[in-house]
Amino acid sequence: MSRGGKKLFYSVVLLLWAFLAALPFLGFSYGVVWVFLLAVYFTLALSYDIVGGYLGYMNLGHASFFGLGAYTTAILLNQGFNLFSALPGAMLLAAAFAAVISYPLFRLRGAYFALATFGLVSLIEVLTNNLRDLTGGSGGISTPPGDHTLPSYYLVLAVAGGTMVLSQIIARSKFGLALFSIREDEEVAKAFGVPTTLYKGLALIISSVPASVVGGIYVWHMTYISPESVFGLEIALSPIIMAMLGGTGIMIGPLVGAVFITLVQEFLWTKVPYFHLAMYGTVLVLLGRFMPGGLVRIRWIRPFIQRLDLGEAVDYFRNVDAERMP
Amino acid sequence: MSADLIQLLVGGVLLGGIYGLAAFGLSITFGVLNVLNLAHGEFLMLGSLLSYGLFVGLGINPFISAVLVIPVFMLLGVFFYLLLLKPIMDKPPHQLLVASILVTMGASLFIEDVTSFFWERPVTGISYSLPPMEFSGVVISSTRLLILLFIFALACGMQLYLKKTFVGKSIRAIVQGREGAKMVGIPISRVSALAFSIGMALAASAGAFYVTLFTVTPVMGIPLTIKYLCVVVLGGLGSIVGSVFGGLILGIAETLTAYYWGAEWSPTIAFILLIIILIIKPEGLFGAKK
Amino acid sequence: MAVNGLLECRKISKIFGGIEALTDVDLKVAPNSITGVIGPNGSGKTTLFNIISGALPPTGGDVIFKGKKISKMGPAQVCRLGIARTYQLVRPFNSLSAMENVLIGLGFGRAASMAKKDRVAEAFRILRMVGLEGKMNHMAGSLTLVEKKHLEIARALATAPEVLLLDEVVSGLNPTEVTRTMGTIQQIRESGITIIMIEHILKVVLSLCERVLVLDHGVRIAEAPPEEVVRDAGVIDAYIGKFEDEEDLHA
Repeated sequence: MSRGGKKLFYSVVLLLWAFLAALPFLGFSYGVVWVFLLAVYFTLALSYDIVGGYLGYMNLGHASFFGLGAYTTAILLNQGFNLFSALPGAMLLAAAFAAVISYPLFRLRGAYFALATFGLVSLIEVLTNNLRDLTGGSGGISTPPGDHTLPSYYLVLAVAGGTMVLSQIIARSKFGLALFSIREDEEVAKAFGVPTTLYKGLALIISSVPASVVGGIYVWHMTYISPESVFGLEIALSPIIMAMLGGTGIMIGPLVGAVFITLVQEFLWTKVPYFHLAMYGTVLVLLGRFMPGGLVRIRWIRPFIQRLDLGEAVDYFRNVDAERMP
Repeated sequence: MSADLIQLLVGGVLLGGIYGLAAFGLSITFGVLNVLNLAHGEFLMLGSLLSYGLFVGLGINPFISAVLVIPVFMLLGVFFYLLLLKPIMDKPPHQLLVASILVTMGASLFIEDVTSFFWERPVTGISYSLPPMEFSGVVISSTRLLILLFIFALACGMQLYLKKTFVGKSIRAIVQGREGAKMVGIPISRVSALAFSIGMALAASAGAFYVTLFTVTPVMGIPLTIKYLCVVVLGGLGSIVGSVFGGLILGIAETLTAYYWGAEWSPTIAFILLIIILIIKPEGLFGAKK
Repeated sequence: MAVNGLLECRKISKIFGGIEALTDVDLKVAPNSITGVIGPNGSGKTTLFNIISGALPPTGGDVIFKGKKISKMGPAQVCRLGIARTYQLVRPFNSLSAMENVLIGLGFGRAASMAKKDRVAEAFRILRMVGLEGKMNHMAGSLTLVEKKHLEIARALATAPEVLLLDEVVSGLNPTEVTRTMGTIQQIRESGITIIMIEHILKVVLSLCERVLVLDHGVRIAEAPPEEVVRDAGVIDAYIGKFEDEEDLHA
């Protein structure tokens, strides 16, 4: 039964990808731009989830990897490098940055970690604003012009798919199991020999890689970014809201969340120009109040997700003691 | 010491006092509820705007506003607690953590966005000042001195309240240990609501002074909360002396940075200080334990 | 009786903020034996376990394991050397399955180098040993208390320990469950693992343990075979008389 569920899930995902790959040839040019952004957000949400969901540390500063990747790529492109040498550079820089900050930040836990990482985004935003010679300051930075819509579309699809595979590999590995155990009880995990400090750092580094790569592809596609567009509140929070809304700690959660939120943005944002952040805020409050486990863990949806057997914590957020009451 | 430097230090101390007062509000709500209120910075901002409105609209001076905002924000605090936090308090720890981050972050975004809709322009300070005083050639604004005195009095009053009154002792007991406090019959939920409203009122009161010194914008709430985090980590949890001490360090550091390197660098100081403490002295920090 | 110590505590003391939780406690544990640790609440039993397992550093004294000083090591290192534990208030990884809980022990304890396929087979064997093979895919948080306690034993066994520290694994269980758990403990010892157990139920201590350490207010007041400990009128009057499960004495 469960094997069938898994097969079904992978077939659906593959079909979906095939459809998306064919999209540019079906004449939906607007759809291509839309799916591009959806895939960027989805990749961010999914890579956020490696730390936020698997490890259980809410990294509200995930957007700093995206922004670093975007800026590094932009600067390298302007130096005359091509995209395929700029992207590894962006990746390396973001990973090195993740490695460096993991040491002090992981000394905090819970809400302190969340708040401090959130501070990280504004720190980097201030830095990009101030280091004008390097980044162009608040005016933003432009890259060599050119229409990269199609290649960047396929690149992002590939990176999004790769991130799905990556998160599945992690979820099924010993490393992933160790991350789950840290989320459950870090002290006990440590007592059973899990190298917690190393693994927490590794998880952050791994999650920084897809984020920085899509940052690079994003700037290549847009040919212009500003500190506000890559470090602003909306880009910083929406991937996290997607992951939380769909359900963290499980790959299908960010997928559901990303599709849901981009649809809402598409149909609501264009009609109501105000209160976007306030609406995000309301979504967050309602999520926290009524379903911190996200959409995929709603009582009548959970059994279907369980049947997919994706090797992740469907049961995370389950209030066992309450359920056992007669 | 040059007159400039003294002026600068006075400004830093004043800013530090404001931070300390507001951060103590955060630390007391965290101590009692075990929930870090990420919306705490918004209340300094709201207190500032209210005080500004009272000054511009009715000509009420900021010292009176600083007192007036206290009951208003205590009421708002109780409302906030009952509506948003009380319903999630019974969740098991890891759910409470996630839920509280979501709820308070959401509230923060909501307040910020709605405020900026109604208040598009940043508010550039209140032009309220008393005649300056001169000490051996150094001119010091008497408004600033009075504000310092006011903050000092408020901090002392708070300290006395926590040490002497029954409710104050209950608050400290809950900070020490929630379970134990429950056992000896302290009405946790009511005291929590009160502590939360006190924390909020302190932030708003600090805000009434903030607007006399600095520009206030609706989007400053979240950066402020991060500054409070730095202050609380510097000074320790639940101690007003510690908070004021942490606030002073941050206030002076920010003022000096703005003077020597330029105002655009001062927003980075809180975070850099935080990282430095985490690297050099993590074991003494409650943050590492929680 | 001179014992050849596999694990030895030498003058262990621990001070918490001015309060002495343990004072110069000595203990020698022979290989493949079962040692009981008894004493009233707050006598420092769990603190002793925390020190042996590396969760807390001692204020003074040394813990020697197979001739090596381990009292300066962290819990992970102690675990890899071959000392595993359970917790008095159970702490399984709640949202992971029983199988995954055991796999953590296997994956990061002394058996870390095992191939993935063998790990699953080994985890199944261990789960069967504690009678949880039928629940291997259940989420740990949904298990009953006795099952959680058995799962903790299984997780500890999965680290391939030489010494197993059991912190009140029998307390809180009904008589049938007690008998079954005692059988499991006996079986573990027969597989060559040395056991130190904190236990309140004296019946269990008397029938399982070869030696018993009695602690009171952090001080070792006796260390002897169980019969002697029970015969010692002072011990009974002062300490065992205080036990909640007094009827167990006569059971």
